[in-house]
Amino acid sequence: MKPVLDWIFERTGIDRVWEALMERHIPEAEGSVSWLYTLGSAAMFVFTVQAVTGALLAMNYVPSPDHAYDSVKFIGDKVILGGFIRGLHHWGASFMVVIVVLHFMRTYFMGAYKYPREGTWMVGIALLGVVIGFGFTGYLLPWDQKAYWATMVGTNIAGQTPFVGPIISKILKGGVDMGAATLTRFYAIHVLILPAIIGILIGAHLFLVVWHGISEPPQRAKPSDGQEKP
Amino acid sequence: MSDWHEAYRRRYKEAKERGVSFFPYAVVKDVFMALLVLCALSYLAIHFGAGLEDVADPTDTTYNPRPEWYFLFMFQALKAFPGNLEPLAAVILPGVVVTLLFFLPFLDRGPKRHPFDRPLITGLGVLGLLMVSYLTYAGAKAPLLNPVVERDPVVESGARLYRDLNCAYCHRIGRKGGGVGPELDRVAPQETEEWLIKHFRDPRSVTPGSTMPQLHLLDDEVKALAAYMKSLGGGEPYSPEAPKLFAANCAVCHKIGKEGGEVGPDLSLIGSARDKAYIRRYVTDPALVNPSSAMPNFKDQLTGTQIEDIARYLSSLGR
Repeated sequence: MKPVLDWIFERTGIDRVWEALMERHIPEAEGSVSWLYTLGSAAMFVFTVQAVTGALLAMNYVPSPDHAYDSVKFIGDKVILGGFIRGLHHWGASFMVVIVVLHFMRTYFMGAYKYPREGTWMVGIALLGVVIGFGFTGYLLPWDQKAYWATMVGTNIAGQTPFVGPIISKILKGGVDMGAATLTRFYAIHVLILPAIIGILIGAHLFLVVWHGISEPPQRAKPSDGQEKP
Repeated sequence: MSDWHEAYRRRYKEAKERGVSFFPYAVVKDVFMALLVLCALSYLAIHFGAGLEDVADPTDTTYNPRPEWYFLFMFQALKAFPGNLEPLAAVILPGVVVTLLFFLPFLDRGPKRHPFDRPLITGLGVLGLLMVSYLTYAGAKAPLLNPVVERDPVVESGARLYRDLNCAYCHRIGRKGGGVGPELDRVAPQETEEWLIKHFRDPRSVTPGSTMPQLHLLDDEVKALAAYMKSLGGGEPYSPEAPKLFAANCAVCHKIGKEGGEVGPDLSLIGSARDKAYIRRYVTDPALVNPSSAMPNFKDQLTGTQIEDIARYLSSLGR
């Protein structure tokens, strides 16, 4: 066994990647505070669930106003475990928002965005925006009443942006009215554009987390630790 | 750059050396958390599923749009900024907040990290959280009726056709437009829908000698234009009794112009946001439309005809 493993390690360097990622030291957090540090990985986990269930849903979903609703109904009624998978994806979206916001709050209140982790924070805010974008575009896809009218409200609100509003609204809807073009546009954004963006951003975020090391739990400022200096 | 950066790096390095290996110390907790999330997700997926309402119906104007719960606070915030101020709450304020958050590391730059050592940032965070929580709660309780979409899409597409066909070259609506043809918001709503449809197919069939050109429109376009005409001036005419009924029954709490009480919302421009059917339902029994409304129902105090009259009157306001 060992020669085989050695052969693989020598060719791939996977043992050193493991060392760098998994055996790196992190500052110890105490008790309940240490659980706050699981929120980032929990968000990653929900993202994985969303990616897997989303891919499964895409196998039976048709992004056209004539068939979208029926295909979603078909997924719920006929596809094996279809209702369960759709349920996971639906609730996963809410979980994603909750977990990402909690993660954001932890970082905010612990001051973890400070030197040297400013970049990690900014990528994080962008990720929060992408998550909201996923929620907004995904909401339309079942093409039921709720989906249609909530999106109508959303695009109207985007249309109120000063100066560029009407253009944004037109780009989102694929025209003046909501219709087939809106649905295909939202679908493409939801399954092609946003996944590509979130992939890059998650990569950057994780790299920065490992590069700088996870922030330590904050201590009250003491005169001796240099925090007192401006 | 700043001298505390070096000090921080040193302290962090020490904390790391005193610390523990990521695997298994953190990984165990991460896996446990993931399993917990998976259990909760599965439970919700199995017991509540994803739900599916009726298929989308773009012509249904009675549907109350409700955004996903995590957008609720924004929609609730919109209510505090009526009319021209709406973009402020909808786009500008959230935009400013997000920009500030994005650049937060450059606004709060000192070495202090503990929340109690940064009272301003912590205070703002708590305040923001409280506001969002309250708005979400209020939004979940109140039914959301967004004026932006209360309009009938058929009427909307009629209004677009009116623009596209350059009808305003000859006609006037609300004093805007040409003077060759009749002033539409005065005359058009009085005609029946059949009359309007015939008129748009061939003006001379109902108005002999009319100089209006034949438009050669599709059926849907004819209907949209007719619906738009009917929507002008608040739809059907109301009787002279209606303002008196309002003064006797509603003005205790509601204002129109400068007259009336301030307990309920000012109704001076209500017609720009709500149609007649909505107002009739609301006056008949507010609880059906808005469970948290403090307004009494009028189904026992006014006759159906009177309520219809008031609804016609109110829906004509602010048009």
